[in-house]
Amino acid sequence: MFEIPILMVLIPAFPLAGTIVTAIFGKWLKHEAHWPVIVSIACSCALSLVLLSQVMHEVAANPLAVGWESTFELWNWTGVPEAIARPEFAAPAEGAAALPERLPFVVNVTLRSDPLTSIMLAVVTFVASLVAIYAVGYMHGDPGYWRFFTYIGLFVFSMTMLVSVSNFVLLYVFWEAVGLCSYLLVGFWYEKPSAIAAGKKAFLVNRVGDFGFVLGLFLIWTTYGTLNYHDADGIAGVLGQTRLATSGGFAAGGVATVICLLLMLGACGKSAQFPLHVWLPDAMEGPTPVSALIHAATMVTAGVYMVTRCTPLFVASADAQQVVAIVGATTCALGGVIALTQTDLKRVLAYSTISQLGYMFLALGCGTLVAITAGMFHLLTHAFFKALLFLAAGSVMHAMGGIIDMRRFSGLRKLMPYTHWTFLFGGLALAGVIPFAGFWSKDAILAAVHERGHDSTLYLALYWVGMITAFLTAIYTFRAFFLTFYGPLRVPHESGHHAHESPRTMTVPLMILAVFAFGAGMWLEGPGDLAGLLGQTPSLAYQSVPRAIEHGGSHLLVMTISTIFALSGVGIAAYLYLGDDASATRLASLLAPLYWLSYGKFFFDPIYNALFVWPLLMLAKASDLTDKYLIDGLVNLVGSVPPWIGARLRSLQTGMVQFYALAMVWGVVVLIVTLLVWPAIGASLK
Amino acid sequence: MDEQALLTNYLIVGALLFGIGLVGFFSRRNMIVMFLCAEMMLQGVSVSLVAWGRYHNDWGGQVLVIFILTVAACEAAIALAVVLTLFHKSGKLDIAVWQQLREDNQAAFVDRDLSALAPKPAVQWPKLTPAGIEPDHDLEEVTHRSHL
Amino acid sequence: MNELVSVIGLGTALLAAGLWLVLPRGAASGKALGAVLVAIGLGLFASRVPGLGGWGASVVFYLLAGVTVLAALATISFRKPVYSAIWFGLSLVGTAGLLLFQGAQFLGVATIVVYAGAILVTFLFVLMLAQPEGQAPYDQFSWGPRLAGLTGALMVGVLTLAVLGVFQNPDLAKRPTAPFPSAELQRDILADEHMAHLGGQLFSKHLLAVEVAGTLLLVALVGTVAIVAQIRRPDQGGSSHG
Repeated sequence: MFEIPILMVLIPAFPLAGTIVTAIFGKWLKHEAHWPVIVSIACSCALSLVLLSQVMHEVAANPLAVGWESTFELWNWTGVPEAIARPEFAAPAEGAAALPERLPFVVNVTLRSDPLTSIMLAVVTFVASLVAIYAVGYMHGDPGYWRFFTYIGLFVFSMTMLVSVSNFVLLYVFWEAVGLCSYLLVGFWYEKPSAIAAGKKAFLVNRVGDFGFVLGLFLIWTTYGTLNYHDADGIAGVLGQTRLATSGGFAAGGVATVICLLLMLGACGKSAQFPLHVWLPDAMEGPTPVSALIHAATMVTAGVYMVTRCTPLFVASADAQQVVAIVGATTCALGGVIALTQTDLKRVLAYSTISQLGYMFLALGCGTLVAITAGMFHLLTHAFFKALLFLAAGSVMHAMGGIIDMRRFSGLRKLMPYTHWTFLFGGLALAGVIPFAGFWSKDAILAAVHERGHDSTLYLALYWVGMITAFLTAIYTFRAFFLTFYGPLRVPHESGHHAHESPRTMTVPLMILAVFAFGAGMWLEGPGDLAGLLGQTPSLAYQSVPRAIEHGGSHLLVMTISTIFALSGVGIAAYLYLGDDASATRLASLLAPLYWLSYGKFFFDPIYNALFVWPLLMLAKASDLTDKYLIDGLVNLVGSVPPWIGARLRSLQTGMVQFYALAMVWGVVVLIVTLLVWPAIGASLK
Repeated sequence: MDEQALLTNYLIVGALLFGIGLVGFFSRRNMIVMFLCAEMMLQGVSVSLVAWGRYHNDWGGQVLVIFILTVAACEAAIALAVVLTLFHKSGKLDIAVWQQLREDNQAAFVDRDLSALAPKPAVQWPKLTPAGIEPDHDLEEVTHRSHL
Repeated sequence: MNELVSVIGLGTALLAAGLWLVLPRGAASGKALGAVLVAIGLGLFASRVPGLGGWGASVVFYLLAGVTVLAALATISFRKPVYSAIWFGLSLVGTAGLLLFQGAQFLGVATIVVYAGAILVTFLFVLMLAQPEGQAPYDQFSWGPRLAGLTGALMVGVLTLAVLGVFQNPDLAKRPTAPFPSAELQRDILADEHMAHLGGQLFSKHLLAVEVAGTLLLVALVGTVAIVAQIRRPDQGGSSHG
């Protein structure tokens, strides 16, 4: 009944339809405006799961050397014949004739499905449906209720398209669409100046990354002569079967490095990696479901997805891979350190997101199949437990009357039992405590990095960075947990007498996510066989992607160390924040410079302000002054001429009827002279 | 007769009638006189048209003049009605009364030393009652007692 | 040609000055001088105009033209509107003579009947109704006599220059618009059955135009009644008080 192409089309089509319906009828639907979007996302989710099972079935049935993929062309979007001279790495698709001298530029709207895409689709739609249900309670009574659900629907559509398209141009289109939705949702409360500023910041910082990304696309185009992933129109796609089947089909050396670095720049922007991570914490100004959906679970994973998809390109450049790994590790440590001292609950989670994304990039930077699947594994588990944590934080915020500063409340475990328990599950998963989901995926990453470190000092160092960050993760997670839910019961006055557990629509998604945060890791590590499934993705099935480097036993060692680190982190947090307050303060004064740096978020914002924002602002001011005085002056000067002439001509309007007749006759005289007199006698006058 | 010379002469006479009519239309302020002058301009055109008709041996000129006569009659009728309306409003046939079209900053057209030339008010000579004629008196005035 | 332009230019200047002088200008005099200047100017014009060929015709024509133009001048120069109207009547008689001289018998008569007989008399009626005391203060003055005189004279000069220039330009004279031979004219526009021909033209070739003209007269009649009907009811509504 459900053919794969039909599923591929329906999965994005449902959210789009929901968006359109909400956009048109939202005003009249009022408090029921969530129905079209929730129903459509839920349908999309169900279909995604069907697709996933179909893909698993197909993969099991056809274990190919180059992976399994299925593409479905919807329509031809645009095309330019003979657009480029055939580049060196352009190749004919398998079984096609030799390529002509000049290649066309064709963009077909083609959807694809392969293990990577179908897994991403399932995660995105699943988390999105839970978040949408949660938002029914969270956004209740908001004047922009229908607008919110319109944006959510648009976002899910963009995200599903982003992972389904099979062309770099379309990837870029939906990459931007996701950025647009992010802007709209972060600045959702547009009457709040800080929300507007945060939306703007997210958009502008993403522009920097997108700039690199689009340059990377240009370079791919001039290097490979096509922008399709798959083989199409007789040309081998960038990540197509033909190219993957032959070794040496990819550009190496400088070009590969530049392409990868540019793509990585784009991924840095979207996935909030150092040095473009500054937008994500500010983006917490949006409604909490948005934080959960976009800035934790799904949108920021776009960068991870893209780098995973482009694995063969990265494999061609070891330098670029090292850069990815270093950026990942740096971000990972940075996020962890900053999260230690933040007092805003959502901000702690935001920095932890940055840190966890750093883990994923660290894994992708290792370049081995095991590491990449571990990165994707972490992406999945992270989507569950981070969405859970954000939604739980939102639940706290909801109850506290919009207050999220941990210094203002404490001891909420009696007040909000469901939130407390679900947050605990999320926290344990984030801290990587066995057997919660985060433990398995983080452990898989650390093991892969450790393996890579056997013959590389760099990766060994990165492994230890990751390990220490795991320790920090446990500390900051449980610091937030203890500060919020333990200690004496304190409630900010803003919450009034309404401090209560959240409604059912909010707690049920929390509980579902808690189940996943607990069990997803175990299941995917064991019977789910995520790694095996992902390995059948064309990009990852590429023969030049190194398989695991076999050093038996190291996995167990890593597991032991990370468990010790995680548990000791939890213990330290308990010691510092469950006992008297003084111990934490003493530690802070002991490490004053580090505390200062961490509390100030390493001062990225002031530094960026001084380096980029301020000079640009001055330039803009100068341009503004030039415009105001020079350009406007000139324009006004020109503009003042007609009024001046008019003022002079006003005196002609005497109101005497006869004067008007007289003026008319003067005109007639001029006409007679030019038309009759001059032609008749003008020639003979000379 | 020299047809070309005839045409030339008639055209110049027509032009003169037209030009003199123009001058009158521009400068005279009595609306009736202005319309006389407008009719004079029409006469100038009629003369020219008839001359052209003869020059080309074409009846069109004369036929057109007949229509000019018709239109002039219509125009005269409407114009007189309008003049009467205006006269009814201002009590004068002066075209300079109607100058509200002017710009705000324009001074109104004012006659020079109008008062000097205005007709002097008639002298109110004392009225004497001729002998033997009953003087005018108010009929409402009570001239007899209603009761004793 | 240069000579033509300078003579006409001088004539125009004299005409302008004369027209200025003959217009009513309050207490200022100079009407006689103005008339003389106009006469000299017209003489200058006439000196450049070709003769009619035959003194009998010339005398009749110049007499009629002189009467017409002088009466027209008198129309614009007399202060009392009634005089102006009467002089305009004389000008109409001169015009009618000129039309008859052209062989346009019907038009000559019609001008007198329609203009002098109907339109002019209507004007006089209105004049008598509105201004029974004769001249009003605003009849004493002209509005912008200098500008008006200059413009009118310029118009005349330019038109004259155009007419004379066209016919005296050797290049343009070769155009195939040469006058018809006299015999042809006698058969056609100067034929004895003038009225029959004109009527035939009117009711065959120009029938539609005649119908339209008739409609126009009707519309004008209705319009006039509509306009005048307003002022007869000054107390009803404010429309009659501007």
